[in-house]
Amino acid sequence: MRSSLVRQILILAVLALVPAVGEAIYFRHKISWRSAILPSEMVTVDQARAWGENVIWVDARPDEEFARDHIPAALSLNEDRWNELLPQFLAAWSPGKKIVVYCSSLGCNASREVARRLRREAQLPDVFVLEGGWEGWLKTR
Amino acid sequence: MKTHIFAFALSILISLSARAELKWEQTTVELHPTPADKQAIGHFKYQNPGKTPVRFKSVHASCGCTTAQTQKDEVPPGGTGEITATFNIGDRTGTQVKTVTVETDDPANTKTVLTLRTIIPQQLEINPTFVFWKQGDKPDPKTITVKVGKEFTVKHIKVTSSSPDFQTKVEETGKGEFKVDVQPKETNNLVASTLTIQPEDSQKVFYATARITNSPVVQ
Repeated sequence: MRSSLVRQILILAVLALVPAVGEAIYFRHKISWRSAILPSEMVTVDQARAWGENVIWVDARPDEEFARDHIPAALSLNEDRWNELLPQFLAAWSPGKKIVVYCSSLGCNASREVARRLRREAQLPDVFVLEGGWEGWLKTR
Repeated sequence: MKTHIFAFALSILISLSARAELKWEQTTVELHPTPADKQAIGHFKYQNPGKTPVRFKSVHASCGCTTAQTQKDEVPPGGTGEITATFNIGDRTGTQVKTVTVETDDPANTKTVLTLRTIIPQQLEINPTFVFWKQGDKPDPKTITVKVGKEFTVKHIKVTSSSPDFQTKVEETGKGEFKVDVQPKETNNLVASTLTIQPEDSQKVFYATARITNSPVVQ
């Protein structure tokens, strides 16, 4: 009785594995490419605001959107003009400052990419991504 | 009973063949631009094998860096066409995956996600791109590693500092790697320099920044 149950479980597991493998192969190019981000690297608007003057706000959105409106004192740093904008950002940075990067809406990946490059390429500490992005900030304005 | 099953199957087949739908040649396109390219363009071809026209309701790219264009608003039965997705490379690096969401009036398949995967060749990988000294620190040299990308050959690089306050020295360590030592003359003044890193025989320029910063903020 027990061996029959085990056999049935195994058969079901194998049967489930076949479409799973097929799906993994078929969707290998369709995996999520949003930059992985740890919860500790996210920050809410309220938390970031509480840091006061010790924060540098970084706007990762395209130039046109930054020109339209942005968080007061935010610096523009997007990947369209990374090489040109990075030195301007670095001139404003000093040790101990926290960096909060935002882009537009929750689905946006630009802030994650900018934060990743600041951490990995410029090797800056305390780089955070703003939860809810620009829209999140607007709600609390 | 058999007649009922046959009629049911036939009605399903007829309704399937009559419904409007777009068949995509491929929904994922991989692009390999050259280092000189400013844009990467992907073509997503489609066909309407159905018997009724399909209308595009919207075409949205996942990022401001990508634009997507349809050739027409409506695809007649048997009609073909393509959606062109243009990705502006800008200063992006590595593998970039952008999506274009296409919505049609086909009730069975209203939304299709097209994926544009662009592999941007990286001639030089610079790490870190920023070196700094705190005001009053000992002006010891700091090292920037420059690694040549797999598909490139770079025998020499030239590094120049925009400011005479910083000196640079390049050392070839072999295996497609260079060590760039950056040293400030002194660290009393808040000065900065853009370091220009250029592979020989190449127009492409890479950048790093060196800076004397003020002391950490006391919290």
